[in-house]
Amino acid sequence: MHIELKREGGIAFLPGLNRPRTFDLRDLPPAQAEALTRSVHAASFFQQPAVVGTAAKGAADQTRYTLTIEEGGRRHTVQLLEPVQEPHLRELLELLKQAERDLRREAARPHQ
Amino acid sequence: MRLVHPGWHRHSLYCILPPYVVRTIAQNGSPAQRAAALRTMAVDSTFRALRLSSAVGAQRAPARRLGGMMAESQRQRFIYDMSGQEGFPGTLARSEGQGATGDVAVDEAYDGLGATYDFFWEVFGRDSLDDSGMPLNAHVHYGVNYDNAFWDGQRMVFGDGDGELFNRFTISLDVIGHELAHGMTEDEGPLMYFRQAGALNESISDIFGSLVKQKFLNQTADQADWLIGAGLLAEGVQGKALRSMKDPGTAYDDPVLGKDPQPAHMRDFVKTWEDNGGVHINSSIPNRAFCLAALQLGGYAWEKVGRIWYEALRDMRLRPDCGFARFARITSLCASRLYGEGGTEEAAVNDAWGQVGIKVTREKVSVARVPTLKAPAAQPSRRPSA
Repeated sequence: MHIELKREGGIAFLPGLNRPRTFDLRDLPPAQAEALTRSVHAASFFQQPAVVGTAAKGAADQTRYTLTIEEGGRRHTVQLLEPVQEPHLRELLELLKQAERDLRREAARPHQ
Repeated sequence: MRLVHPGWHRHSLYCILPPYVVRTIAQNGSPAQRAAALRTMAVDSTFRALRLSSAVGAQRAPARRLGGMMAESQRQRFIYDMSGQEGFPGTLARSEGQGATGDVAVDEAYDGLGATYDFFWEVFGRDSLDDSGMPLNAHVHYGVNYDNAFWDGQRMVFGDGDGELFNRFTISLDVIGHELAHGMTEDEGPLMYFRQAGALNESISDIFGSLVKQKFLNQTADQADWLIGAGLLAEGVQGKALRSMKDPGTAYDDPVLGKDPQPAHMRDFVKTWEDNGGVHINSSIPNRAFCLAALQLGGYAWEKVGRIWYEALRDMRLRPDCGFARFARITSLCASRLYGEGGTEEAAVNDAWGQVGIKVTREKVSVARVPTLKAPAAQPSRRPSA
Protein backbone atom coordinates (compact mmCIF):
# COMPACT_ATOMS: atom_id res chain seq x y z
CA MET A 1 0.00 0.00 0.00
CA HIS A 2 1.14 3.47 -0.93
CA ILE A 3 -0.17 6.58 0.82
CA GLU A 4 0.34 10.23 -0.02
CA LEU A 5 -0.57 12.97 2.47
CA LYS A 6 -0.73 16.57 1.38
CA ARG A 7 -1.47 19.44 3.71
CA GLU A 8 -2.77 22.87 2.81
CA GLY A 9 -3.91 25.85 4.79
CA GLY A 10 -3.48 26.35 8.50
CA ILE A 11 -2.51 29.58 10.17
CA ALA A 12 0.62 29.89 8.04
CA PHE A 13 1.88 28.58 4.73
CA LEU A 14 4.93 26.57 5.72
CA PRO A 15 6.56 25.26 2.53
CA GLY A 16 8.26 22.35 4.27
CA LEU A 17 4.98 21.09 5.71
CA ASN A 18 3.02 21.67 2.51
CA ARG A 19 5.14 19.24 0.50
CA PRO A 20 3.33 15.97 -0.15
CA ARG A 21 4.54 13.17 2.12
CA THR A 22 4.56 9.68 0.70
CA PHE A 23 4.56 6.47 2.70
CA ASP A 24 5.29 3.10 1.24
CA LEU A 25 4.02 0.73 3.89
CA ARG A 26 6.83 -1.73 3.11
CA ASP A 27 9.32 0.84 4.43
CA LEU A 28 7.51 1.37 7.74
CA PRO A 29 7.94 -0.70 10.90
CA PRO A 30 5.59 -3.73 10.61
CA ALA A 31 3.37 -2.72 13.53
CA GLN A 32 2.86 0.76 12.12
CA ALA A 33 2.20 -0.56 8.61
CA GLU A 34 -0.33 -3.00 9.98
CA ALA A 35 -2.10 -0.32 12.01
CA LEU A 36 -2.32 1.88 8.93
CA THR A 37 -3.67 -0.93 6.76
CA ARG A 38 -6.30 -1.73 9.36
CA SER A 39 -7.23 1.93 9.67
CA VAL A 40 -7.58 2.40 5.88
CA HIS A 41 -10.02 -0.50 5.76
CA ALA A 42 -11.88 0.49 8.93
CA ALA A 43 -12.41 3.94 7.42
CA SER A 44 -13.74 2.38 4.18
CA PHE A 45 -11.37 4.77 2.51
CA PHE A 46 -12.03 3.59 -1.03
CA GLN A 47 -15.77 4.17 -0.56
CA GLN A 48 -15.37 7.71 0.83
CA PRO A 49 -16.50 10.69 -1.29
CA ALA A 50 -13.93 12.97 -2.88
CA VAL A 51 -14.47 15.65 -0.23
CA VAL A 52 -15.32 15.07 3.42
CA GLY A 53 -16.41 18.06 5.50
CA THR A 54 -17.58 21.52 4.53
CA ALA A 55 -15.95 24.85 5.24
CA ALA A 56 -18.28 27.01 7.31
CA LYS A 57 -19.02 30.54 6.17
CA GLY A 58 -16.34 32.91 7.36
CA ALA A 59 -14.03 30.13 8.52
CA ALA A 60 -10.29 30.75 8.20
CA ASP A 61 -6.95 29.06 8.82
CA GLN A 62 -8.39 25.56 8.68
CA THR A 63 -6.20 22.80 7.32
CA ARG A 64 -7.19 20.76 4.30
CA TYR A 65 -5.65 17.30 3.91
CA THR A 66 -5.52 15.52 0.59
CA LEU A 67 -5.08 11.82 1.05
CA THR A 68 -4.31 9.53 -1.89
CA ILE A 69 -4.06 5.80 -1.33
CA GLU A 70 -3.05 3.10 -3.81
CA GLU A 71 -3.64 -0.53 -3.04
CA GLY A 72 -3.76 -3.52 -5.35
CA GLY A 73 -4.33 -1.59 -8.54
CA ARG A 74 -6.94 0.81 -7.15
CA ARG A 75 -6.29 4.40 -6.30
CA HIS A 76 -8.52 6.90 -4.50
CA THR A 77 -8.17 10.50 -3.34
CA VAL A 78 -10.13 12.09 -0.51
CA GLN A 79 -9.94 15.68 0.68
CA LEU A 80 -10.50 16.08 4.40
CA LEU A 81 -11.57 19.47 5.71
CA GLU A 82 -10.94 20.30 9.32
CA PRO A 83 -12.38 19.53 11.78
CA VAL A 84 -12.50 15.88 10.71
CA GLN A 85 -15.45 14.51 12.66
CA GLU A 86 -15.64 10.96 11.27
CA PRO A 87 -13.74 8.91 13.88
CA HIS A 88 -12.15 6.36 11.53
CA LEU A 89 -10.87 8.96 9.08
CA ARG A 90 -9.58 10.97 12.00
CA GLU A 91 -7.74 7.96 13.36
CA LEU A 92 -6.20 7.33 9.94
CA LEU A 93 -5.06 10.92 9.78
CA GLU A 94 -3.56 10.73 13.28
CA LEU A 95 -1.65 7.56 12.39
CA LEU A 96 -0.24 9.25 9.29
CA LYS A 97 0.80 12.32 11.25
CA GLN A 98 2.53 10.06 13.77
CA ALA A 99 4.35 8.22 10.95
CA GLU A 100 5.36 11.59 9.57
CA ARG A 101 6.79 12.67 12.93
CA ASP A 102 8.69 9.39 13.27
CA LEU A 103 10.23 9.83 9.82
CA ARG A 104 11.15 13.40 10.66
CA ARG A 105 12.88 12.32 13.87
CA GLU A 106 14.74 9.62 12.01
CA ALA A 107 15.88 12.09 9.35
CA ALA A 108 17.12 14.48 12.05
CA ARG A 109 19.23 11.79 13.70
CA PRO A 110 22.91 12.10 12.76
CA HIS A 111 23.96 9.34 10.35
CA GLN A 112 26.66 6.91 11.41
CA MET B 1 1.06 45.58 31.53
CA ARG B 2 -2.42 44.53 32.55
CA LEU B 3 -5.01 42.09 31.47
CA VAL B 4 -7.45 43.12 34.15
CA HIS B 5 -10.39 45.02 32.84
CA PRO B 6 -10.04 48.66 33.88
CA GLY B 7 -13.58 48.81 35.19
CA TRP B 8 -13.78 52.58 34.88
CA HIS B 9 -17.15 54.18 34.67
CA ARG B 10 -18.05 55.09 31.16
CA HIS B 11 -20.11 58.25 31.10
CA SER B 12 -23.18 57.26 29.17
CA LEU B 13 -24.10 60.95 29.07
CA TYR B 14 -21.59 61.45 26.29
CA CYS B 15 -23.57 59.22 24.01
CA ILE B 16 -26.33 61.73 23.49
CA LEU B 17 -24.10 64.76 23.27
CA PRO B 18 -23.46 66.44 19.95
CA PRO B 19 -19.96 65.85 18.56
CA TYR B 20 -18.66 69.34 19.34
CA VAL B 21 -19.48 68.91 23.04
CA VAL B 22 -17.71 65.56 23.09
CA ARG B 23 -14.71 67.20 21.44
CA THR B 24 -14.68 69.90 24.09
CA ILE B 25 -14.66 67.26 26.82
CA ALA B 26 -11.87 65.53 24.98
CA GLN B 27 -9.88 68.74 25.05
CA ASN B 28 -10.65 70.04 28.53
CA GLY B 29 -11.95 67.18 30.64
CA SER B 30 -10.25 65.15 33.34
CA PRO B 31 -8.14 62.19 32.14
CA ALA B 32 -11.01 59.75 32.69
CA GLN B 33 -13.46 62.03 30.93
CA ARG B 34 -11.04 62.53 28.09
CA ALA B 35 -10.64 58.81 27.66
CA ALA B 36 -14.38 58.26 27.60
CA ALA B 37 -14.97 61.13 25.20
CA LEU B 38 -12.26 60.00 22.84
CA ARG B 39 -13.72 56.54 22.83
CA THR B 40 -17.08 57.92 21.93
CA MET B 41 -15.60 60.02 19.18
CA ALA B 42 -13.69 57.05 17.95
CA VAL B 43 -16.85 55.57 16.51
CA ASP B 44 -17.01 57.19 13.15
CA SER B 45 -20.57 56.74 12.08
CA THR B 46 -20.21 58.60 8.80
CA PHE B 47 -19.73 55.57 6.64
CA ARG B 48 -21.97 53.34 8.66
CA ALA B 49 -24.80 55.79 8.08
CA LEU B 50 -23.94 55.95 4.40
CA ARG B 51 -23.87 52.21 4.13
CA LEU B 52 -27.21 51.80 5.82
CA SER B 53 -28.75 54.02 3.19
CA SER B 54 -27.13 52.18 0.31
CA ALA B 55 -28.27 49.07 -1.49
CA VAL B 56 -25.39 47.15 0.04
CA GLY B 57 -26.46 48.22 3.47
CA ALA B 58 -30.08 47.33 2.83
CA GLN B 59 -29.11 43.68 2.41
CA ARG B 60 -27.40 43.52 5.74
CA ALA B 61 -28.91 42.60 9.05
CA PRO B 62 -30.74 45.71 10.17
CA ALA B 63 -30.64 45.33 13.94
CA ARG B 64 -27.23 46.63 14.97
CA ARG B 65 -26.48 48.87 17.84
CA LEU B 66 -24.33 51.88 17.35
CA GLY B 67 -21.16 51.19 19.26
CA GLY B 68 -20.93 54.74 20.54
CA MET B 69 -24.23 54.35 22.35
CA MET B 70 -23.02 51.44 24.41
CA ALA B 71 -22.79 52.25 28.07
CA GLU B 72 -20.49 49.50 29.33
CA SER B 73 -18.32 46.87 27.78
CA GLN B 74 -20.02 43.49 27.79
CA ARG B 75 -17.24 40.95 27.73
CA GLN B 76 -18.47 37.39 27.66
CA ARG B 77 -15.72 34.82 27.45
CA PHE B 78 -16.10 31.07 27.50
CA ILE B 79 -13.09 28.77 27.36
CA TYR B 80 -13.69 25.11 26.67
CA ASP B 81 -11.23 22.29 27.30
CA MET B 82 -11.29 19.78 24.45
CA SER B 83 -9.00 17.37 26.39
CA GLY B 84 -7.42 16.10 23.17
CA GLN B 85 -10.78 15.44 21.48
CA GLU B 86 -12.07 17.08 18.33
CA GLY B 87 -15.83 16.93 18.85
CA PHE B 88 -17.19 20.28 20.01
CA PRO B 89 -17.83 21.79 22.45
CA GLY B 90 -15.69 20.00 25.05
CA THR B 91 -15.97 20.93 28.73
CA LEU B 92 -16.47 24.50 29.90
CA ALA B 93 -13.30 25.29 31.84
CA ARG B 94 -13.57 29.00 32.55
CA SER B 95 -16.27 31.58 31.95
CA GLU B 96 -16.44 35.34 32.38
CA GLY B 97 -15.42 36.54 35.81
CA GLN B 98 -14.00 33.24 37.04
CA GLY B 99 -10.46 33.13 38.37
CA ALA B 100 -7.44 31.48 36.81
CA THR B 101 -7.69 27.70 36.47
CA GLY B 102 -3.97 26.94 36.48
CA ASP B 103 -4.28 25.39 33.04
CA VAL B 104 -1.97 27.62 31.05
CA ALA B 105 -3.78 27.23 27.71
CA VAL B 106 -7.18 27.94 29.30
CA ASP B 107 -5.85 31.00 31.09
CA GLU B 108 -3.91 32.32 28.11
CA ALA B 109 -6.99 31.99 25.93
CA TYR B 110 -9.13 33.74 28.56
CA ASP B 111 -6.63 36.59 28.96
CA GLY B 112 -6.01 36.84 25.21
CA LEU B 113 -9.72 37.05 24.46
CA GLY B 114 -9.98 39.75 27.12
CA ALA B 115 -7.07 41.74 25.68
CA THR B 116 -8.60 41.48 22.20
CA TYR B 117 -12.05 42.51 23.38
CA ASP B 118 -10.57 45.44 25.33
CA PHE B 119 -8.53 46.54 22.32
CA PHE B 120 -11.54 46.85 20.04
CA TRP B 121 -13.66 48.37 22.79
CA GLU B 122 -11.14 50.94 23.96
CA VAL B 123 -9.72 51.92 20.59
CA PHE B 124 -12.76 51.73 18.32
CA GLY B 125 -15.67 51.53 20.74
CA ARG B 126 -16.47 48.18 19.16
CA ASP B 127 -18.49 45.79 21.30
CA SER B 128 -17.04 42.39 20.39
CA LEU B 129 -16.56 40.92 16.93
CA ASP B 130 -20.02 41.77 15.66
CA ASP B 131 -20.22 45.08 17.56
CA SER B 132 -23.25 43.66 19.31
CA GLY B 133 -21.67 41.91 22.26
CA MET B 134 -21.14 38.51 20.67
CA PRO B 135 -19.80 36.05 23.27
CA LEU B 136 -16.24 34.92 22.61
CA ASN B 137 -15.74 31.17 22.63
CA ALA B 138 -12.34 29.53 22.57
CA HIS B 139 -11.61 25.82 22.56
CA VAL B 140 -8.18 24.73 23.75
CA HIS B 141 -6.35 21.38 23.89
CA TYR B 142 -7.94 20.51 20.56
CA GLY B 143 -6.71 17.18 19.18
CA VAL B 144 -3.47 15.46 20.03
CA ASN B 145 -0.19 17.23 19.21
CA TYR B 146 -2.33 19.43 17.02
CA ASP B 147 -0.25 22.02 15.12
CA ASN B 148 -2.73 24.74 14.30
CA ALA B 149 -5.22 27.37 15.43
CA PHE B 150 -8.26 28.27 13.37
CA TRP B 151 -11.51 30.20 13.29
CA ASP B 152 -14.40 27.97 12.26
CA GLY B 153 -16.79 30.83 11.64
CA GLN B 154 -18.06 30.87 15.22
CA ARG B 155 -15.31 29.84 17.57
CA MET B 156 -11.57 29.89 18.00
CA VAL B 157 -9.79 26.57 18.17
CA PHE B 158 -6.27 26.03 19.51
CA GLY B 159 -4.01 23.02 19.42
CA ASP B 160 -1.30 22.26 21.95
CA GLY B 161 1.34 21.90 19.24
CA ASP B 162 3.52 18.83 18.91
CA GLY B 163 6.34 20.32 20.98
CA GLU B 164 8.80 19.51 18.20
CA LEU B 165 7.81 22.17 15.68
CA PHE B 166 5.25 24.21 17.57
CA ASN B 167 4.46 25.15 21.14
CA ARG B 168 0.87 25.65 22.27
CA PHE B 169 -1.01 28.04 19.98
CA THR B 170 -2.32 30.20 22.82
CA ILE B 171 1.24 31.33 23.55
CA SER B 172 1.14 34.31 21.16
CA LEU B 173 -1.36 37.06 21.90
CA ASP B 174 -1.21 38.17 18.26
CA VAL B 175 -2.33 34.71 17.15
CA ILE B 176 -5.38 34.97 19.43
CA GLY B 177 -6.07 38.46 18.07
CA HIS B 178 -5.55 37.14 14.54
CA GLU B 179 -8.21 34.44 14.92
CA LEU B 180 -10.72 36.80 16.50
CA ALA B 181 -10.12 39.42 13.81
CA HIS B 182 -11.31 36.85 11.26
CA GLY B 183 -14.66 37.04 13.02
CA MET B 184 -14.68 40.82 12.74
CA THR B 185 -13.73 40.72 9.04
CA GLU B 186 -16.54 38.29 8.35
CA ASP B 187 -18.92 40.66 10.11
CA GLU B 188 -17.69 43.87 8.46
CA GLY B 189 -16.46 42.73 5.08
CA PRO B 190 -16.81 40.09 4.24
CA LEU B 191 -13.71 39.39 2.21
CA MET B 192 -13.68 36.16 0.24
CA TYR B 193 -11.08 33.73 1.53
CA PHE B 194 -9.40 33.40 -1.84
CA ARG B 195 -6.54 35.06 -3.75
CA GLN B 196 -6.02 38.80 -3.15
CA ALA B 197 -9.24 39.29 -1.17
CA GLY B 198 -8.25 36.31 0.97
CA ALA B 199 -4.76 37.71 1.43
CA LEU B 200 -6.33 40.99 2.56
CA ASN B 201 -8.52 39.00 4.95
CA GLU B 202 -5.39 37.34 6.35
CA SER B 203 -3.52 40.65 6.45
CA ILE B 204 -6.30 42.33 8.42
CA SER B 205 -6.12 39.51 10.94
CA ASP B 206 -2.35 39.91 11.23
CA ILE B 207 -2.62 43.68 11.56
CA PHE B 208 -5.24 43.69 14.30
CA GLY B 209 -3.62 40.69 15.98
CA SER B 210 -0.36 42.61 16.11
CA LEU B 211 -2.10 45.80 17.28
CA VAL B 212 -3.77 43.89 20.13
CA LYS B 213 -0.31 42.81 21.27
CA GLN B 214 1.22 46.25 20.76
CA LYS B 215 -1.48 47.92 22.83
CA PHE B 216 -1.24 45.29 25.53
CA LEU B 217 2.52 45.87 25.73
CA ASN B 218 2.05 49.63 25.29
CA GLN B 219 4.48 49.68 22.37
CA THR B 220 4.92 52.40 19.78
CA ALA B 221 5.35 51.38 16.14
CA ASP B 222 9.14 51.48 16.37
CA GLN B 223 9.16 49.39 19.57
CA ALA B 224 6.92 46.63 18.19
CA ASP B 225 8.43 43.44 16.78
CA TRP B 226 5.77 43.23 14.03
CA LEU B 227 5.98 39.44 14.24
CA ILE B 228 3.06 37.05 14.09
CA GLY B 229 3.48 34.05 16.33
CA ALA B 230 6.64 34.99 18.23
CA GLY B 231 7.28 32.21 20.76
CA LEU B 232 5.19 29.72 18.84
CA LEU B 233 8.04 27.88 17.12
CA ALA B 234 9.45 25.16 19.35
CA GLU B 235 12.97 25.20 20.65
CA GLY B 236 15.44 24.11 17.98
CA VAL B 237 13.36 25.35 15.06
CA GLN B 238 15.35 27.89 13.09
CA GLY B 239 13.06 30.87 13.10
CA LYS B 240 11.54 33.54 15.27
CA ALA B 241 7.86 33.50 14.24
CA LEU B 242 5.35 32.52 11.56
CA ARG B 243 5.51 35.82 9.73
CA SER B 244 7.24 39.16 9.85
CA MET B 245 5.12 42.13 8.85
CA LYS B 246 8.14 44.40 8.78
CA ASP B 247 10.53 42.10 6.89
CA PRO B 248 8.44 39.52 5.05
CA GLY B 249 10.35 36.40 4.11
CA THR B 250 12.64 36.47 7.16
CA ALA B 251 10.53 34.81 9.86
CA TYR B 252 12.07 31.33 9.56
CA ASP B 253 14.45 29.27 7.50
CA ASP B 254 14.40 25.75 8.82
CA PRO B 255 15.20 22.30 7.41
CA VAL B 256 11.71 20.99 8.27
CA LEU B 257 9.50 24.06 7.88
CA GLY B 258 11.35 25.36 4.84
CA LYS B 259 11.97 29.03 4.20
CA ASP B 260 9.45 31.79 4.85
CA PRO B 261 7.90 32.36 1.38
CA GLN B 262 6.32 35.76 1.98
CA PRO B 263 7.06 38.50 -0.57
CA ALA B 264 7.88 42.08 0.46
CA HIS B 265 6.83 43.67 -2.83
CA MET B 266 4.30 43.21 -5.63
CA ARG B 267 7.05 42.24 -8.05
CA ASP B 268 7.48 39.05 -6.01
CA PHE B 269 3.74 38.34 -5.69
CA VAL B 270 3.29 34.57 -5.61
CA LYS B 271 0.73 33.20 -8.05
CA THR B 272 -0.45 29.86 -6.76
CA TRP B 273 -3.58 27.77 -6.38
CA GLU B 274 -2.33 26.41 -3.10
CA ASP B 275 -3.37 27.90 0.24
CA ASN B 276 -6.59 29.30 -1.29
CA GLY B 277 -4.54 31.18 -3.82
CA GLY B 278 -1.73 32.14 -1.46
CA VAL B 279 -3.77 33.88 1.25
CA HIS B 280 -1.04 33.25 3.87
CA ILE B 281 1.72 34.06 1.37
CA ASN B 282 0.81 37.37 -0.27
CA SER B 283 -0.78 38.81 2.88
CA SER B 284 2.72 40.13 3.58
CA ILE B 285 2.31 42.85 0.93
CA PRO B 286 -0.56 44.71 2.64
CA ASN B 287 1.01 43.80 6.02
CA ARG B 288 4.21 45.58 5.10
CA ALA B 289 2.31 48.58 3.72
CA PHE B 290 0.56 48.93 7.08
CA CYS B 291 3.81 48.58 8.99
CA LEU B 292 5.61 51.14 6.80
CA ALA B 293 2.79 53.67 7.21
CA ALA B 294 2.81 53.12 10.98
CA LEU B 295 6.58 53.55 11.21
CA GLN B 296 6.39 56.65 9.04
CA LEU B 297 3.77 58.30 11.25
CA GLY B 298 5.33 57.11 14.51
CA GLY B 299 3.58 56.81 17.86
CA TYR B 300 1.07 54.08 18.61
CA ALA B 301 0.16 52.26 15.40
CA TRP B 302 -3.45 51.68 16.48
CA GLU B 303 -4.18 55.38 16.87
CA LYS B 304 -3.92 56.55 13.28
CA VAL B 305 -2.99 53.83 10.81
CA GLY B 306 -5.00 51.28 12.78
CA ARG B 307 -8.02 53.57 12.63
CA ILE B 308 -7.53 54.13 8.89
CA TRP B 309 -7.44 50.38 8.24
CA TYR B 310 -10.40 49.80 10.53
CA GLU B 311 -12.47 52.37 8.66
CA ALA B 312 -11.31 50.89 5.34
CA LEU B 313 -12.62 47.49 6.43
CA ARG B 314 -15.98 49.10 7.23
CA ASP B 315 -16.06 51.16 4.03
CA MET B 316 -19.01 50.64 1.72
CA ARG B 317 -16.65 50.46 -1.25
CA LEU B 318 -15.01 47.33 0.12
CA ARG B 319 -16.34 44.47 -1.97
CA PRO B 320 -16.01 40.77 -1.12
CA ASP B 321 -13.58 40.30 -4.04
CA CYS B 322 -11.54 43.41 -3.20
CA GLY B 323 -7.99 43.32 -4.53
CA PHE B 324 -4.90 45.04 -3.11
CA ALA B 325 -5.11 48.10 -5.40
CA ARG B 326 -8.70 48.82 -4.54
CA PHE B 327 -8.06 48.34 -0.85
CA ALA B 328 -5.05 50.65 -1.07
CA ARG B 329 -7.22 53.37 -2.56
CA ILE B 330 -9.84 52.90 0.14
CA THR B 331 -7.21 53.28 2.87
CA SER B 332 -5.94 56.42 1.17
CA LEU B 333 -9.43 57.89 1.01
CA CYS B 334 -10.06 56.95 4.63
CA ALA B 335 -6.81 58.64 5.64
CA SER B 336 -7.85 61.88 3.96
CA ARG B 337 -11.38 61.65 5.32
CA LEU B 338 -10.22 61.05 8.88
CA TYR B 339 -7.16 63.26 9.06
CA GLY B 340 -7.54 65.80 6.28
CA GLU B 341 -6.93 65.83 2.58
CA GLY B 342 -3.30 66.12 1.58
CA GLY B 343 -2.22 65.57 5.19
CA THR B 344 0.79 63.64 6.47
CA GLU B 345 -1.44 60.61 7.20
CA GLU B 346 -2.67 60.34 3.62
CA ALA B 347 0.87 60.85 2.33
CA ALA B 348 2.24 58.16 4.66
CA VAL B 349 -0.41 55.69 3.54
CA ASN B 350 0.16 56.40 -0.17
CA ASP B 351 3.90 56.27 0.27
CA ALA B 352 3.71 52.94 2.14
CA TRP B 353 1.65 51.34 -0.64
CA GLY B 354 4.09 52.77 -3.17
CA GLN B 355 6.96 51.06 -1.36
CA VAL B 356 5.30 47.67 -1.80
CA GLY B 357 4.62 48.36 -5.48
CA ILE B 358 1.05 49.66 -5.42
CA LYS B 359 0.59 53.15 -6.77
CA VAL B 360 -2.43 54.78 -5.25
CA THR B 361 -4.20 57.16 -7.59
CA ARG B 362 -7.40 58.66 -6.34
CA GLU B 363 -8.65 59.26 -9.87
CA LYS B 364 -8.92 55.54 -10.49
CA VAL B 365 -11.35 54.87 -7.67
CA SER B 366 -14.43 53.61 -9.42
CA VAL B 367 -16.86 54.96 -6.82
CA ALA B 368 -16.99 58.75 -6.84
CA ARG B 369 -16.20 60.48 -3.59
CA VAL B 370 -19.27 61.69 -1.83
CA PRO B 371 -18.98 65.49 -1.49
CA THR B 372 -20.64 65.62 1.92
CA LEU B 373 -17.74 63.69 3.36
CA LYS B 374 -15.68 66.83 3.18
CA ALA B 375 -17.86 68.52 5.79
CA PRO B 376 -15.36 69.62 8.41
CA ALA B 377 -17.72 68.96 11.33
CA ALA B 378 -17.50 65.23 10.68
CA GLN B 379 -13.73 65.23 10.62
CA PRO B 380 -12.06 64.11 13.80
CA SER B 381 -8.83 65.62 12.48
CA ARG B 382 -9.20 68.57 14.80
CA ARG B 383 -9.21 66.51 17.90
CA PRO B 384 -6.14 66.69 20.04
CA SER B 385 -3.71 63.88 19.62
CA ALA B 386 -4.32 61.65 22.60
